[in-house]
Amino acid sequence: MTLAAAILGRLAKAAITLLLIVILNFFLIHAAPGDPAMVMAGEAGAADEQFIQQLREQFGLDQPLYVQFWNYVSGVLQLDLGYSYRQQMPVLDLILDRLPATLLLTLTAFFMSLLLGIAFGLAAAARQGRMGDTAITSMALLFYATPLFWVALMAVVLFSVKLGWFPAFGYETVGAGYTGLDLVLDRLKHLFLPALTLGLFFMAVYLRMTRSSVLEVSQMDFVKTARAKGLGEGTIRRRHILRNALLPVVTLAGLQAGQLVGGAVLTETVFAWPGIGRLMFESLTARDYNTLLGVFLVSAAMVIAFNIITDIVYRLIDPRI
Amino acid sequence: MKKLLTASILGLGLAMPAAAQDSGGRLDIVVQPEPPSLMLGLVQNGPTQLVAGDIYESLLRYNTDLEPQPSLAKSWEASDDGLTYTFKLHDGVTWHDGEPFTAEDVVFSVDTFLRETHARLRVSLEHVESVTAPDDTTVVFKLKNPFGPFMGVFEVGTMPIVPKHIYEGTDFANNPANNTPIGTGPFKFEEWEKGSYIHLVKNEDYYLDGQPYLDEVYYRVIPDAASRAVAFENGEVDVLPGGSIENWDVKRLTEMEGVCSTGKGWEYFAPHAMAWMNNREGPTSDKLFRKAVMYAMDRNFVKDVIWNGFGTVATSPVSSKTNFYTDDTIMYDHNPEKAKELLEEMGYDGETVRILPLPYGETWQRWAEAMKQNLEEVGINVEMVATDVAGWNQKQAEWDFDIAFTYLYQYGDPALGVARSYLSSNIAKGSPWNNVAGYENPEIDEMFAEAAVAPSAEERQEIYTEIQKQLVDDVPVAWLLEIEFPTIYRCEVQDLVTTAIGVNDGLRDAWIEQ
Amino acid sequence: MIDFLKRFSRNRGALFGMIILIVVILLAIFAPLIYPDSPWKMVQRPFLPPFSTDGLPLGTDTLGRDVAAGLVHGARVSLIVGLVSTLVALLIGVPLGAFAGFYGGLVDDGAMRFTEFFQTIPNFALAIVLVAIMEPTLPTITLAIAIVSWPPVARLVRAEVLSLRKREFVDAARLAGLSNIRILFGHVLPNAMSPIIVMASLMVATAILLESSLSFLGLGDPNIMSWGYMIGAARTVIRTAWWLSFIPGVAILLTVLSLNLIGEGLNDALNPRLARKGR
Repeated sequence: MTLAAAILGRLAKAAITLLLIVILNFFLIHAAPGDPAMVMAGEAGAADEQFIQQLREQFGLDQPLYVQFWNYVSGVLQLDLGYSYRQQMPVLDLILDRLPATLLLTLTAFFMSLLLGIAFGLAAAARQGRMGDTAITSMALLFYATPLFWVALMAVVLFSVKLGWFPAFGYETVGAGYTGLDLVLDRLKHLFLPALTLGLFFMAVYLRMTRSSVLEVSQMDFVKTARAKGLGEGTIRRRHILRNALLPVVTLAGLQAGQLVGGAVLTETVFAWPGIGRLMFESLTARDYNTLLGVFLVSAAMVIAFNIITDIVYRLIDPRI
Repeated sequence: MKKLLTASILGLGLAMPAAAQDSGGRLDIVVQPEPPSLMLGLVQNGPTQLVAGDIYESLLRYNTDLEPQPSLAKSWEASDDGLTYTFKLHDGVTWHDGEPFTAEDVVFSVDTFLRETHARLRVSLEHVESVTAPDDTTVVFKLKNPFGPFMGVFEVGTMPIVPKHIYEGTDFANNPANNTPIGTGPFKFEEWEKGSYIHLVKNEDYYLDGQPYLDEVYYRVIPDAASRAVAFENGEVDVLPGGSIENWDVKRLTEMEGVCSTGKGWEYFAPHAMAWMNNREGPTSDKLFRKAVMYAMDRNFVKDVIWNGFGTVATSPVSSKTNFYTDDTIMYDHNPEKAKELLEEMGYDGETVRILPLPYGETWQRWAEAMKQNLEEVGINVEMVATDVAGWNQKQAEWDFDIAFTYLYQYGDPALGVARSYLSSNIAKGSPWNNVAGYENPEIDEMFAEAAVAPSAEERQEIYTEIQKQLVDDVPVAWLLEIEFPTIYRCEVQDLVTTAIGVNDGLRDAWIEQ
Repeated sequence: MIDFLKRFSRNRGALFGMIILIVVILLAIFAPLIYPDSPWKMVQRPFLPPFSTDGLPLGTDTLGRDVAAGLVHGARVSLIVGLVSTLVALLIGVPLGAFAGFYGGLVDDGAMRFTEFFQTIPNFALAIVLVAIMEPTLPTITLAIAIVSWPPVARLVRAEVLSLRKREFVDAARLAGLSNIRILFGHVLPNAMSPIIVMASLMVATAILLESSLSFLGLGDPNIMSWGYMIGAARTVIRTAWWLSFIPGVAILLTVLSLNLIGEGLNDALNPRLARKGR
């Protein structure tokens, strides 16, 4: 099967999965107690039945569930994700507004954790059994066992409150009017803490994975053969071990990358990062059905995209497939 | 002869420019949560009002003693029979898009727009027979009957004036102009970066000379309470409106140098924290049980520990900040022994009571935990129900609770903010803002009806005193605390809170000491 | 078995983990004896720092409740949620993966589609939605965690079964006339036990983390004192009383760490061939 055909097949499957997700989530979220009209009326501090009823009519929530369902699904099939009651704008625009922030955060966290994880993993494997190895693996275990939100809190206290090195939250310095390099630096400063806390756990995962993978591959017959052939240790490591050892790491990383979006809910909340993770949590409590469904759809699409990209990368690294 | 209500106001207006205000500068204010919309005529929740109070105006403002002050109206009079109210508007007022503002806008806003969209005002408007504009700067309200609290409905969140030329004949809720609000207020809408900030700029054509003083205002969206506190600390925001950070941080921040705080600016709302007790069924349907709850609670502990000493223990359905309050009622102190006796007397059988906390942050959660502990200590079995905002609203609306935390605004007058919670005509499923407890007492119903339309303040006071005595004895709900949400700001910011709704009235008078 | 214990105890990390875990388990079991009063009871002034008052070794929290009592009672919740949700996840994941791997074909296709489907929704997000819909109580939280954690189990079991079903002993069992079900559950699965056990120990750790994250977001059972709740509640005072979030955080960290260490120890002890390579 050619690469293109494989990708096409994956895309077709993905479309079906996405549709199923829409259906499942639609009924899940409508099973939750309360509705957006009630929440919005509640925030007004005072409202009567007439007001709530007006809101329901305006949102189309007075129609039977199956009608709402049909309207929603047929909308989605035409790439119309509906209208956000809460934010008073089309869901698609809302998500496209917030998506870059989440992509920036998750991709930074992903590549940071992958690079650091592989680097530390290789370092640990090279020092196998010695002090350095113990130190690195203990660190990994620690990160692996620490609650994400707790690290985030502690990081804010240390780096932003006590040391004042990084802003505690936000996406940019509001109204500073930075351009060019200043803008980039400003973004990076804001990005550092959230990306770090989000990435730590995954870094630990990739680190352990890399280490054990390298150790496993080094014991394999083809490596022994290479050694017997008298190839230099460096060459063996680069040409044989690295390539074969990194394969499972990359695969796993790609599969887990989607989960970063879940982790982003916590990180974005603590760091006031205006991305879709936070949007998801906010729209859940506001029962902003369309927005919540939209966020789920988009994050599922992101997971699938990550998987497909992983597939491609896998094929590139390992020409046998 | 007509009562003249404006004399003192004019004097005050002249005195204003005496202090030299510095012009210029920018304020960053926290807004929490992000408002759903800035169209104040359609949405009146707290965050919307905070921001939109700069954009829109009403006819009047109220000082912290709840006395009317000029806003769009520069003077006003009421006829002796209390049936005709005449307002004179400022000359030369324009909308932010340059169109002139006239009395027709007021008539349209009140009679057409708000009648359709504003649930709370609609109740008061039932007493109004007609609204007319004899000329461009005069508005006349004719009432069907005297209505005591009428002079209290001209606050900007209750009666925001919206532009007729934009909304007439349109579908109000779906008018695209809702995204770019046009008002007459001191600041204009500039930009809204969703999830991040709302940017307002000075209205250069504002009708009061030299005002507003500030050049621009940023309302900052920061979803996490702890982060909001940090933002204030490291100077990113200058003002924390009441309730935007957790109480424990209030104490810490106000002790910082150069930080000021005020509890003023909540007199109109006078948030009254209480717990509905289901009068229909279960142990809470027994008056003795409800009294036992009152004695079991240590409300001073809550005030001192959870609210850091802010607020006042509530002794009556009427807030002590609202007109017509009386302290001539039974006083419930913290008396667990008495509570146990009452439970004994009623023969409480240990039936579990479900407490529904208010899902508005950690403070309220701690409060519910403290109440649970208090009740358990006198032998009541308690289960705490976990829920979010939507679930909380629904459970109240469906009467699915035994004890439910809430807090309600008083709107300056018992007829507007208090009666609604106790009238038997106000018992209806489907809404959490009526008589949710299901209290029924024809005598109370009648007295509330009389008090609303009684011609003089003295007569009203008499009836409200009687109502409070009887309600406090019946304890249909557990009154907890008159909440005070301190506004925290940098001391350079001057005249930030000047009215009974505080920062919600906009930053017309605010300035920064240079 | 003795061989296994020897190998396990040779791993210092695993032993260390075991000791911590046993302490936590003992605390959880004897919580009502150590602290007979409710952990919600307000016993002293709020915000007493640790080691400052007799009888309150870890001080008091925002309402004057005994932090040590909360910690001990919280251990029960964390362990129960961790264990039960893992069990439930195994009950879903093991049979699904086993059937998929053993029967292959359409069964495999269907089961894997289903698994993939669940893996496509970010699991923390799904857990939040599930808890919010069912309203947070101990059983619903446990169930939600189980629902989001079974897919990796299914994949693992499927892979194991897939490699085992071609082995000689399966053919032998088949020739002996055993039914498919008997072969699967009597012969194939027992041989796949060791990776499942290792994974389960790690899942308990992950479940504890998930529970604490949910509690932190306010999606915990308000009638039960848990570590995540303690951090979430203390977060508002993190600037004035950082130890209130620090202490339960350390408790989670240690417990999760001990489970991970044990998991690794088990892995090494159950797969001696691999472990030797790793050493």
